[in-house]
Amino acid sequence: MSEENSESEVKRGAFAKKKGEVILREHEYDGIQEFDQKLPNWWLFTFYFAIIWFVVYWVIYYHTDAYKTDSEKIVEKMEAIQERKEGELADALASINDQVLIEKWATDPEIVATGEATYMQVCIACHGTGLDAKMGDIPLSGRPLNDGEWQYGKAPMAIFEMINNGSPEGSGGYNGVPMVAKGGAMLTPEQVAQLTAFLISKNPDDYAGATFDENGKLIE
Amino acid sequence: MSTPATQTATIQYDDKTVRQFMFFSVLWGLVGMLVGVICATQLSWWQMNGKFLEAISFGAIQADGISWLTFGRLRPLHTNAVIFAFVGNMMFAGVYYSTQRLCKVRTASDLLSKIHMWGWQLIIVSAAITLPAGLTRGKEYAELIWPINIAVALIWVIFAINFFWTLAKRNEPSIYVALWFYIATIVTVAMLYIVNHLSLPTSLTHSYPIFGGLQDALVQWWYGHNAVAFFLTTPILGIMYYFLPKAANRPVYSYRLSIIHFWSLVFIYIWAGPHHLLNTSLPRWLQMLGMLFSLMLWAPSWGGMLNGLLTLRGAWNKLRTDPVIKFFAAGVTFYGMATFEGPLLSIRAVNQLSHYTDWTIGHVHSGALGWNGFMAAGMFYWLAPRLWKTKLWSVSLANMHFWIGTVGILLYVAAMWTAGVMQGLMLGEVAEGGTTLKYEFVETLKAIQPQYILRSIGGTLFLVGFVLCAINLWKTARSGQPHDDTVEVAVPVKKHDTMTVRETLINDPVAYSILGCFTLCLWFFLPPHANIAALIVTALLAVKAVHGFRTRGTKWIDWHERLLHNYLPFTLLVFIAVAIGGAVQIIPSLIVNRDENVEGRLQELYTPLELAGRDIYVSEGCYNCHSQMIRMLMPDVMRYGRAGEKDDFSHLGESIYNHPFQWGSKRTGPDLAREGGDIVDGHTYMRSGARDNVWHYNHFMNPRQTSEGSNMPAYPWLFEKKADLKALPTKIAKQRQLGVPYPPMNQHDIIDKAQFQALEIGKSLAKAKVLQPAGLEMGEDEFAQYISETEVVALIAYMQKLGTYKIVEKDGPPEGTPLDPDSYRGVTVAPETGDTANITD
Repeated sequence: MSEENSESEVKRGAFAKKKGEVILREHEYDGIQEFDQKLPNWWLFTFYFAIIWFVVYWVIYYHTDAYKTDSEKIVEKMEAIQERKEGELADALASINDQVLIEKWATDPEIVATGEATYMQVCIACHGTGLDAKMGDIPLSGRPLNDGEWQYGKAPMAIFEMINNGSPEGSGGYNGVPMVAKGGAMLTPEQVAQLTAFLISKNPDDYAGATFDENGKLIE
Repeated sequence: MSTPATQTATIQYDDKTVRQFMFFSVLWGLVGMLVGVICATQLSWWQMNGKFLEAISFGAIQADGISWLTFGRLRPLHTNAVIFAFVGNMMFAGVYYSTQRLCKVRTASDLLSKIHMWGWQLIIVSAAITLPAGLTRGKEYAELIWPINIAVALIWVIFAINFFWTLAKRNEPSIYVALWFYIATIVTVAMLYIVNHLSLPTSLTHSYPIFGGLQDALVQWWYGHNAVAFFLTTPILGIMYYFLPKAANRPVYSYRLSIIHFWSLVFIYIWAGPHHLLNTSLPRWLQMLGMLFSLMLWAPSWGGMLNGLLTLRGAWNKLRTDPVIKFFAAGVTFYGMATFEGPLLSIRAVNQLSHYTDWTIGHVHSGALGWNGFMAAGMFYWLAPRLWKTKLWSVSLANMHFWIGTVGILLYVAAMWTAGVMQGLMLGEVAEGGTTLKYEFVETLKAIQPQYILRSIGGTLFLVGFVLCAINLWKTARSGQPHDDTVEVAVPVKKHDTMTVRETLINDPVAYSILGCFTLCLWFFLPPHANIAALIVTALLAVKAVHGFRTRGTKWIDWHERLLHNYLPFTLLVFIAVAIGGAVQIIPSLIVNRDENVEGRLQELYTPLELAGRDIYVSEGCYNCHSQMIRMLMPDVMRYGRAGEKDDFSHLGESIYNHPFQWGSKRTGPDLAREGGDIVDGHTYMRSGARDNVWHYNHFMNPRQTSEGSNMPAYPWLFEKKADLKALPTKIAKQRQLGVPYPPMNQHDIIDKAQFQALEIGKSLAKAKVLQPAGLEMGEDEFAQYISETEVVALIAYMQKLGTYKIVEKDGPPEGTPLDPDSYRGVTVAPETGDTANITD
């Protein structure tokens, strides 16, 4: 093949080799010829570099302690987050009590709206959009939150505790189904408090004329 | 150097087989791509999982979802169809056409060609029936059930016999680079396929893979990655080496580049499999090998691209006029792009974002559509006029195919890149304060809906282009007559195929390579200090090899030239090159990562019902969208780990008894590794985890009821179909054989246990007064009994068990374990740092 375009510019085999020109190999396969160009330098060096990097990286990881293991790294990070979470919770608990939640949080439309948005994200799968634990006629797995019954206490801080930590251990849950903690991984203490405020606002009868002790605790 | 010929012979090539393979490639290509488009739309509109039939049948068909149309079953059909049916047949067409011409001989046996051709189509048809029926092994690109596996292996062996027999009869003493790649393909695919499909049948249609947990993961991705390498890459490179210089009428750019990139490619590719398992509980040393070999793979891959593109030097003017060159040039460019992206995605830090998101989907499609799809089109357009002795029916239609296809690919890939990066970033984004995540999973899914629609459009465009190709080829064939080339060939005096095994193995290049590999492995596996010595020896060997090549290089070159005149010795060396990587990774893992060596978390065994549920999970293809692997990354642990647990990533022992493993490769839905929970008070087996039974029940009936915005299909048939409890005794017996430590149970025990647990769950559902499946209005007890027999209860049992474990304590400080590089690290480095700390004190 390629009589005009290649033959004139390249010399074949040994002759080309001696002259340092591009070699066109003499053999052809079903008409296919092959040049024998030198390997591009940039290509060779990326290859060499990758090989050297292999050795260097392995040596750094396995023969020095410059790198931490994956598990050390992740545990360290999660510990830091955990610490911050505990701080957040402590701050939250110091700043709220039953009285604050009922009188301040549950009456602030902005807080209640934020709580409602969270509710629509996190809670409706089990408690329904209308807090009646139903979707249309289909009963959902949670308890109704609008029937005036508060299994684990109606005090706002008890509700806060319930959302934050889930069903108390050994309580057996509702229909044998305990609620999973929503604090920690999913919601911040502030969001849990907002949710609590939203629930209070939706059950005004339960909290009408509430009285508190000197620590702001609901007197039931 | 033309070989002196004593005589000539007239040969008619068998081009009929080529025409047949080509026909089926186009046919299955159309089917496979159409299924791909359907799958793409299912991710945007859940109704595409069967509900849409209501609309197009004017209500004659009523269903929220149809089992054989769901994404979980169709996606394996799509991948298998485009890989094995479209590219498979295309590869066979190219191999049969070019091998005959490169060997100057007709294919050895017409009978074997026929068996190969029709056998392969039969396999494809059986795959197209079994996969939508939910018969699957649950491992990606290895889903076909065991009887079909055996058929595939047999047909592959027939292909191999036919191919090597043709080589043996060749009238061309030296084998051309295209044939090297074909040899590598045949040998390696056979090895990968057989090992990854080793299974223990429990029935005619079901089996368990013999590897479990992380070992199954390792073997699967050794196979999966190299299916890409040796089914989608090396045969197509071989085809490129034949058809591209033919079409361009130019000599191949560099022979020595062919040699270097061939050997480095086949050797290095095999090691890269673990890059599909980065940041998981796969041991770190395997992840290191996967990542670092992937980086080394970049240059060998680009060697192929360079040889393709630079061969076009002097023929670029044809780019304007010849659609074949257009497709080849674009195909090779996409190959270069995909093989640049691949090593990039193998870097553990980048992989955090790309793995489990659509970025990977974009990556694989730039290769599949750009490289495979376009190389196939180029080859077809070149072949059709020759196979039917006519002209291409329409050059402008082929050009149109090119442009529609290119726009389709670019849209597709751009959409997937942005979707992947965007969702990955959103999933990792923390809320203000940094202690919780900002977005729910479903919010991130909603955010990428525009990209999903764009992807469907891109895929549809590519399919439209391919339809044009099919029409063009059909018209071309109709305008001519089937034609088999007849040629006069010189029959050389046979001096080739004389190399002995001794000559093959005992020579400088092979000795240095094998010794080098050996000392390299010693470096990985020997205890501290000895490993450094091994590294130094390896380095010295490398220096000596370079020196040897510089002084006695001609001898090496002559040996390789001679090797090319001997196809069996060549094949033997290829096999050694591809066997090393897998052996070094898999065998140590099989020895070390066993349940008796697990410290810490060890998986709880499934009860019989949970096992039945797991098999349903596998059968429905849930793994196509859900992972069961919390990676060692902060966003993963924050999202999926339990609150207050600092190390709640998935540990190696948690899935060690899972045959097959179900770590997944894409999260279209959230991870499920922490779905399970403890046994509910007052119950014997029933558990409740992150979500309760009623939630799961409602979710399977209508996912949008529990998760607004979800694109998961509804599974109405799970509420009607009875769970197959009768199969459990055999299944558990087979699991015992595989090393899952089930206590001895007789078959009544097994079925009683399963029924008891099912009734516990059934009662909990009935008591909660869940919505009964359409048409049912049963009393509480009757419904509890009814629902307890259905698949949904078995599946719920599995969901509530997922990821549960017990703690195994081991005495004493960690010890170095032979064959486990990670264990040495912990042992040696810690005391050393202790010492230095003391000194500085």
